[in-house]
Amino acid sequence: MSAEPDGIVPPFPPPPSGTRMTRRWQATAAVVAVAAAVTATVLVAGSGGGGEHAAAKAQAPADGLRHTAIDVSTGTCGQGWSRPRSGTQVFDLHNTSGAAAEVDLTDPRTGKVYGEVEGLAPGTTRPMTVRLGSGSYAFKCLQNDADAVTGPTVVVAGKQPQGPAAAPVDQHDLIPPTLAYQKWVGQRIAELAADTGRLKADIDRGDLAAARRDWLPAHLVYERMGAAYDTFGDADAAINGIAARTPGAVDDPHFTGFHRIEYGLWHGRSAASLRGPATALDGAVHDLLGGWPDQRMDPAAMGLRAHEIVEDTEQFELTARTDYGSGTSLATARANLDGTRAILDELRPLLEPRDAGIAKLDAALVRTQATLDALRHGGVWTSVDKLTHAQRQQVNADFGDLLEQLAPVAAIFEVRRTA
Amino acid sequence: MTDTRGSGDLRRRGFLRGAALGVGAVGAVAGGATALAGSTASAATPSAAPAGRGAGFHGSHQAGIVENVQLSTAFLSFDVTAADRRELTELLHTVTDRARFLTAGGTPAPLGITDSPSDSGTLGPRLPGDGLTVTAGVGASLFDRRFGLTDRRPLRLSRMPAFADDDLDEAWCHGDLSLQLSAPHPDTVLHALRDIARNTRGGMQARWRMDGFSSPPRPSGTPRNHLGFKDGTANPDVTDPAVADEVVWVGAGAEPAWTAGGSYQVVRLIRMLVEFWDRVSLTEQERMFGRSRDTGAPLDGSREFDVPKFAEDPTGDIIPLDSHIRLANPRTAKTDDSRLLRRAYNYDRGMDGNGNLDMGLIFVCYQQDLERQFAAVQRRLAGEPLVDYVSPFGGGYFYALPGVRDRADWLGRTLLA
Repeated sequence: MSAEPDGIVPPFPPPPSGTRMTRRWQATAAVVAVAAAVTATVLVAGSGGGGEHAAAKAQAPADGLRHTAIDVSTGTCGQGWSRPRSGTQVFDLHNTSGAAAEVDLTDPRTGKVYGEVEGLAPGTTRPMTVRLGSGSYAFKCLQNDADAVTGPTVVVAGKQPQGPAAAPVDQHDLIPPTLAYQKWVGQRIAELAADTGRLKADIDRGDLAAARRDWLPAHLVYERMGAAYDTFGDADAAINGIAARTPGAVDDPHFTGFHRIEYGLWHGRSAASLRGPATALDGAVHDLLGGWPDQRMDPAAMGLRAHEIVEDTEQFELTARTDYGSGTSLATARANLDGTRAILDELRPLLEPRDAGIAKLDAALVRTQATLDALRHGGVWTSVDKLTHAQRQQVNADFGDLLEQLAPVAAIFEVRRTA
Repeated sequence: MTDTRGSGDLRRRGFLRGAALGVGAVGAVAGGATALAGSTASAATPSAAPAGRGAGFHGSHQAGIVENVQLSTAFLSFDVTAADRRELTELLHTVTDRARFLTAGGTPAPLGITDSPSDSGTLGPRLPGDGLTVTAGVGASLFDRRFGLTDRRPLRLSRMPAFADDDLDEAWCHGDLSLQLSAPHPDTVLHALRDIARNTRGGMQARWRMDGFSSPPRPSGTPRNHLGFKDGTANPDVTDPAVADEVVWVGAGAEPAWTAGGSYQVVRLIRMLVEFWDRVSLTEQERMFGRSRDTGAPLDGSREFDVPKFAEDPTGDIIPLDSHIRLANPRTAKTDDSRLLRRAYNYDRGMDGNGNLDMGLIFVCYQQDLERQFAAVQRRLAGEPLVDYVSPFGGGYFYALPGVRDRADWLGRTLLA
């Protein structure tokens, strides 16, 4: 997507962006993880040339749906829609111009978008399947390096209920919540620096009981900042990386941070052996703190992170993949919920008018949180492997449902061009 | 909570995924539940496709029971995680809505920029229906106090007991709900499973799952199991409604009225020790079953569907008295009412720790009365020679719900409404 807003220049990094977050682990596994993290959202996927359009026209549609051929170019945007009908239907968008274009089907009165096709290559045709009720519609053609052009308004008569639509979110919309979130993260990093300093002091003076006590609060502060990890860059791997599964990987010198210290604290390692990792962790956190005022979070990542934090929880915490002996995966899961709430709180003013399922999302958060809180007894969290069958099923159900309710958030906050 | 009233209220307070409501609106149009999730996204109407090759979704009985086995199946047991009766009701509405759409086929609801796609796309942009059947049942545990259903339990429904030769693993037994998905192609089965799971995550979680298949006739007649024998030759002819009413369907009588049109479903996960079996002589194999391996004929006959004449062989010289077919169905007047409908599938799930092939049978059967039919047969089979080569380790008793009559109806309506 090309969404460079007029008049806005860095500090915000230039789009395209929205790289997927993937937890990185150390040594050999890191290569794989980095490769997996590169999930570009923008690919011009068109294939074939102009002949495709003619072929599509000649064939009766195999999908049983009503098809309408629509022209996409600066001068003819939206032409071809002469007999508007309600219902589920397909618009075959044909880019007759010389530049790639994004096409939105909008309600010109409200600006709501009913369907979109991105990266429509010159000369290609791609389908847009939408469900339309009664109302007014217009195609909007956004060619690269050109102003948006809105085609003729078309009215679907009658009293059919309208199909799913939402107002697009552009980069301008996301700047205030991103700044607010970034400020919140800065406060958390300061909190974290105090906590890792305490952990380092415990280990320095050989008090491993105190270290085991102070490890969790420090780790949870970090786990509440889930939407910022990508901005942390390499520091995230140094602070919260995990080891490969291969034998001996826990002794790899590149395995550092919270989980390295956790492994030592819960596997009878000496204080002396943990001083290096504790010093390195505290150093990495203080570096993060010092550098944070110069960092700029990517607004396009906000919506993605809102659902990826819990995706990570399901993948790494509910499987105990990241448990190096403390048995606190569910505490981490709980902190991840706090982190999800923190980012949703910032996005809420934009989300509320766009997500019809927001009440269910809120209910799912409450329910998941209550389920987790019931698994903490006297300050001690149940470890994942000690869950009863019924507890395990409830945790899986609540997180599974929560993730489904979070999926629309990422879709809605995909940054879109509006002009 | 015992609130089962007002599906409009139900849907507003819904806790399952929104996409289900989109498709569910089709049912709502006919069912009067027009108050959906309060969004414009709620009234999606997927275009209907021509009915698949399988049984239609609507009817007084569920599909997937009397119909022939299909080539591919997935059998699952679920624990219900819905918090109360209202949520259980929503869950069953959702399962119904998904099953109705998946079995009919059509275009998945387009959700525009408001959500990720409503369909996984593994069957292409338009679902083919493809003869899919979805068969749902309820287990005895659903009738505990969680949902206020203690007084509605079908008369014969209990927790499946361990029979004489069982080696049951709790992790592979029982469950609140059963769900069997069957189709001619595995991609259709897996697509349906993925869709239903996605739309019901908050309300139920799989307890165990076994995928299976049935083989084409080799070379003719009833499909064979992993032991090389035809499995289900002696099934009653349930295409005759009178036979089906006698053997399969629960009607009136002492059962709670809501059960009418349902059937008791037994599923048994039976490991077959195929390496051991392959080291047994053919004569011994055939004497254990009482049938010819090649033709499927009883040992006193020459063709698969020849009827064994046990009365003419009272000492078991031809068909041993302890052979499987003789114990299972002695074909006497006294045992006639214990006949049941077998719907078995083969399973294959990789290797065992000792290097053996991990394969066996998903034995599914339907009957009007668990005690009179399945349990009686199972007791007769206790200690049969075949037990050395098989090991039942899982399964459960379920009650296959009455059918969904029309677009306004839903699975479990008579139980919950």
